[in-house]
Amino acid sequence: MAGAPDRGLFHRLMNIDRRVIFLIIALSVALPILLPLNLPIGASREADAYYEAMEALRPGETMIFSFDYEPDTMAELDPMSLATLRHAFRKDVRVIALTNYAGGAGIAERILHEAAEEHGKEYGTDYVFLGYNPDWSATMLRMGESIRRTFPTDHYRTPTDEIPLLAEVDSYANVPLLVTVTASALAEYWVIWAGGKFDQKVIAGATAIQAVLVYPYFQTGQLSGFLGGLKGAAEYERSIDVDGAGVRGMDAQSMAHLLIVVFILIGNVAFLLHRMQGRRGG
Amino acid sequence: MSWDGIGMILAAILTIAIFSLLYRDNPFYRFAEHLLVGVSAGYYVVHYFYSSVIRKFAVPVFGQGDLWLLPGGVLGLLMLFRLGRKVQWVSRYAIAFYVAAWSGYLIPSVIKERIQAQIVGTLPPSPGSAPWIAILGSLLILVGVVSILIYFYFSVEHKGAVGKISQVGITFLMVGFGASFGYTVMGRVSLLIGRFQFLFQDLPQALGW
Amino acid sequence: MKKTGPVILGFLVGTLMLIQFFTPNEWIEARYNNVLDWKQVVFGITLILGVISLFVYHWKKIEKRSEGWGYSVVTVAGLLFMIVVALIFSPERGPYPWMFDHVQAPMQATMFALLAFYVASASYRAFRARSFHAALLLIAGVVVMLGRVPLGELIGLQHVSSWILDYPNLAAKRGILIGVGLGMVSTAIKIIVGIERTYLGKGA
Repeated sequence: MAGAPDRGLFHRLMNIDRRVIFLIIALSVALPILLPLNLPIGASREADAYYEAMEALRPGETMIFSFDYEPDTMAELDPMSLATLRHAFRKDVRVIALTNYAGGAGIAERILHEAAEEHGKEYGTDYVFLGYNPDWSATMLRMGESIRRTFPTDHYRTPTDEIPLLAEVDSYANVPLLVTVTASALAEYWVIWAGGKFDQKVIAGATAIQAVLVYPYFQTGQLSGFLGGLKGAAEYERSIDVDGAGVRGMDAQSMAHLLIVVFILIGNVAFLLHRMQGRRGG
Repeated sequence: MSWDGIGMILAAILTIAIFSLLYRDNPFYRFAEHLLVGVSAGYYVVHYFYSSVIRKFAVPVFGQGDLWLLPGGVLGLLMLFRLGRKVQWVSRYAIAFYVAAWSGYLIPSVIKERIQAQIVGTLPPSPGSAPWIAILGSLLILVGVVSILIYFYFSVEHKGAVGKISQVGITFLMVGFGASFGYTVMGRVSLLIGRFQFLFQDLPQALGW
Repeated sequence: MKKTGPVILGFLVGTLMLIQFFTPNEWIEARYNNVLDWKQVVFGITLILGVISLFVYHWKKIEKRSEGWGYSVVTVAGLLFMIVVALIFSPERGPYPWMFDHVQAPMQATMFALLAFYVASASYRAFRARSFHAALLLIAGVVVMLGRVPLGELIGLQHVSSWILDYPNLAAKRGILIGVGLGMVSTAIKIIVGIERTYLGKGA
């Protein structure tokens, strides 16, 4: 390019109608969904640890699964929940499910039953859904003493005293693994209340925003493994050999990230040139 | 067409109504926004009522005769005094109960799991007990944590040595915030992918298009 | 009665919940479990209170025909519809879960998906390397953004992003965790002994 860049050009570039940016972002996500590139998906240490913790469960053992999210983040977390439950049911691991968010109840019902139907699991003996309980910290602590007293009935109003699975398992004592899939700080609080007070082994699926906050707990071993965002879900789907929405979303994720990086670069180059011109102009 | 099919078309229309905000604010978006608030509040209140009033109070007290659960209901009722201006003070009992109970069990757990365990995790392994690269990494974390805590210590002026260490702390914090930004972008893009997967994959597949 | 009573109640309950961690006494443990149960009831009713406030707000708007009252009709109608269908058909089947699956969930998900557009626009317009620290934030953000997706893995960026996440990021988050943790503990102590009362509202 000959000569100094035109200040007007950069001005125009920086004041571009934001709807143009919106359209470009929409295309960067939509096109790879319609025309997949099938980019290879690598594995991370934390996702491997999550898989290993699940893999260590033996047939007949029981795990607790907490759907700690609402529909706002289901795009990120549903793939983790579905993959984890498929993995559990495939290994004949029994599941006690609950949610600490009212909006999580509808999500949990859909995913639990989908995974259970795929593997021919029976409600009450192979899995149970306790539903939503208000006050997560009290719920986590109370479950350490008695799950049945914490949830006098299940989600479908059946007294928990009458549910066969809960006759055998009534606290963390008989639960080798607790999984929380969460969009909030609940991974940390399961570690603090269930892990700290009752020595419960905990793994977590976390939204990307939350994932960055749980690294300190993973490093100390308080959290035995975690999945971070949709990429974490894709890694885990690959580990269990069942591709789902996580794997399907990775091409779009890559393209959108690349585009945003390009946006940042353009913005900064324009900013630097503008500043240099300003200095030269004195 | 099945109810599920009708539901998916309705979901697609409402999804587009919300996306229409990207063009500009309009009545379709406003309608969808207010519908979302109303339907969500209705959905939540049913769960709140069942899980607290019925399941944690009525079932144990009246169904199982567990009278120890009775005070929970009384405290809950006190909370409703917030609705009357002159009697609002009564609800302070319920609020004080709730906040103080939380504070009580928070103290030992946070000290043990959040402060003590994290401090122990920051201490580097002794030389020879781990590969040198791991020890170097641990030392880096130690420097970062200490400098950040000094940066957060506002009781001394950030001048001289303290000021310099604080600058190191800010450097670590900025890298941390950068990582948070990267992950935030990832999260937001994933949510958009979810909606587009619904519009371009799930919906046509379900309707046989 | 109005001020001291709640503080005394708070002191007694807070102390019980605190000492339970240090004693195997069965009576204390049983009361501790009671308090956990009561807390859940209070919390649930507090949330119901929030929904009542929302209803009252929109109802008043409709009564006064304030600007945008027509939209408040939509909110109130949606709220009442969900309660009525839950009562008639039960919350487990019929229109109540159908509305969740096909109205609430997709709209809530889309509302948050909008943020992808705004974050992209903000990255373009406002994310500038104006200083050394801002440049550091920007570089770390870009490396993590690319290193955590398959495209970045093709050029080996995942190793750099993992290093950032495992070391400087971990140190930053841990510093914040410990700092906030100390703040939480000191605030909790002040609440139990009654020094901190602002949470009780005006005049406490």
